[in-house]
Amino acid sequence: MKRTFVISVVAAALLALVPLFIQSPYALHIFILFFIVVALGESWNILGGFAGQYSVGHSAWYGIGAYGAFILLQQKNVAPWFGVWVGVAVAVIVALAVGWITFRLRGPYFVLASIAVAEIIRLLALNWKDLTNGAEGILASDLPPLKLGGTMITDWNSKTPYFYMGLLMAVFCIAVNYVVKGSKLGYYLQAIREDQDAAHSLGIPLTLYKNAALGISAACTALAGSFAAFYVGFIEPQGVFGIDVSIQMVLTCIIGGIGTVSGPIFGALVLVVLTEMLRASLAQAHLLVYGVLVVVVILVMPEGIVGFASQRLRRRKAAAA
Amino acid sequence: MAVLIQSILSGVLIGGVYALTGIGLTLIFGVMRVINFAQGELVMVGMYGTFFLFSLLGVDPFLSVVVTMPAMFLLGAVLQRSLINRVLDALPQNQILLTIGMGLVLSNVAMLAFTSDYRILSTSYSSSSVPLGPIRLSTPLIYCFLITVVITAALYWFLVKTDVGHAVRATAQDRDAAQLMGVNVRNMGVLAFGLGSALAGAAGALVAPTYYIYPQVGGAFTLKAFVVVVLGGMGSIIGATLGGVLIGVAESVSGTYFGSGWKDVCVYVIFLLVLLLKPAGLLGKSRM
Repeated sequence: MKRTFVISVVAAALLALVPLFIQSPYALHIFILFFIVVALGESWNILGGFAGQYSVGHSAWYGIGAYGAFILLQQKNVAPWFGVWVGVAVAVIVALAVGWITFRLRGPYFVLASIAVAEIIRLLALNWKDLTNGAEGILASDLPPLKLGGTMITDWNSKTPYFYMGLLMAVFCIAVNYVVKGSKLGYYLQAIREDQDAAHSLGIPLTLYKNAALGISAACTALAGSFAAFYVGFIEPQGVFGIDVSIQMVLTCIIGGIGTVSGPIFGALVLVVLTEMLRASLAQAHLLVYGVLVVVVILVMPEGIVGFASQRLRRRKAAAA
Repeated sequence: MAVLIQSILSGVLIGGVYALTGIGLTLIFGVMRVINFAQGELVMVGMYGTFFLFSLLGVDPFLSVVVTMPAMFLLGAVLQRSLINRVLDALPQNQILLTIGMGLVLSNVAMLAFTSDYRILSTSYSSSSVPLGPIRLSTPLIYCFLITVVITAALYWFLVKTDVGHAVRATAQDRDAAQLMGVNVRNMGVLAFGLGSALAGAAGALVAPTYYIYPQVGGAFTLKAFVVVVLGGMGSIIGATLGGVLIGVAESVSGTYFGSGWKDVCVYVIFLLVLLLKPAGLLGKSRM
């Protein structure tokens, strides 16, 4: 564990040096996309991976975070780095309310309920035009410059500040996963994932701990989601609340290895690289990559890259011994 | 009053199509315990098939059911044999993800092949309607409903009266017992998925004259099919038929009184309420 920690810190430090050597906006853009996908995947992993509750409606928290910050910026001129916390708070409150109701459902029923909730929230955003501007969406054209004690830190006019924000976001979400996994909460969640009834009979309050996982997961998703939205600079209901957003989060974890801290990182790497490589030839149909990937992963290595690799490693060790 | 009756009747007519997709979903679930998240995408494939049969060969969309259903049966059987069959014993979550992946592949291949343009299939009777006292009912929807009734009746007859139908229902009731009685449960899976796809294809053909046709249209049908099936009770075919009509009416009435933007909200709220208050559905046995 100590070794992985050192490797992670060194990797993050090396990544932080990237903008000093690479100025190409396209290359930086790819890195930023990668950080966003990692952050979102890790966020989903807390509920889906550790607690085993496969939500396919996480776009709800992504969208609420993004809309919260965008609406405050547009209507009240609140800077995003303050507005974001309102978005996160709203997402967590709504998530807990929804969780309280839907966590009594299991397996496929929970999946269906999570999709329905995200769909209801998308339709609310579409129809509540006074607040959300409906299908036209909201544009965040110029962000106020970020100042700290009078000194200007950035005016957001290049990719570099987004690069560091993205890196920070990804590292934060990975750290949250790491802490949760090793905590009492994490063990409870994994017990619930492995056998809900056994966990219950041991006295673990199921709904309470599932809700704790959902709250943390929704907060991280809202945070990463609003960052992603500001990076794009524009939001509309289908773009942030659509099921594609949720599927991407699930896929990142499935490909990398569900319930592992490092899984979403590998998953994001595969997703971003493949999507970018095929973007030109697939154009609008870029989700084809997701579809093919998920089918292949489920059939060939349902444990994901990390699970597959560690299985191989164990087998090799066993063969050597 | 006339407005209310009008919207209830329109709801019943369109509900027939929701029932078809729902029956397909519930049949697949009943026999294999797999929830097919690609059901709506199969409807989409049926819509495109009907569209091209009409625009290239001039086949009437309602007649084309005769072609789309067997073709979709084959597609479903192939999908079952090549993909679904391999995850029958996997975690339910993995089965769901596999079908979600299948759906993504179908809709994105459609986008590559046909672009994301909206297409409209307009026949000579597309915008005509039949007067019924103060009420007017759209002609294509009436045709659509009548064919739905015929298909549903034929399916009931198949399941209740034929030996193969008995085997399908036996597999749905108890897989192991059916196998012990000499039913080839693997073939039943292929048959169920084929039938489910054929029903989705029929639904696609029947709505093609009244809906926009585009690659992502499936998502809405998938969600509706779930709502219908959960409302009626997972695995219950009569439940799905009833659920389809109820959802059609709920959608149509709420669309009339709250505006079309809110009708889907009402449908999903009903869905959540059913999940929470009566998760077994109106006619289903509890499988929680």
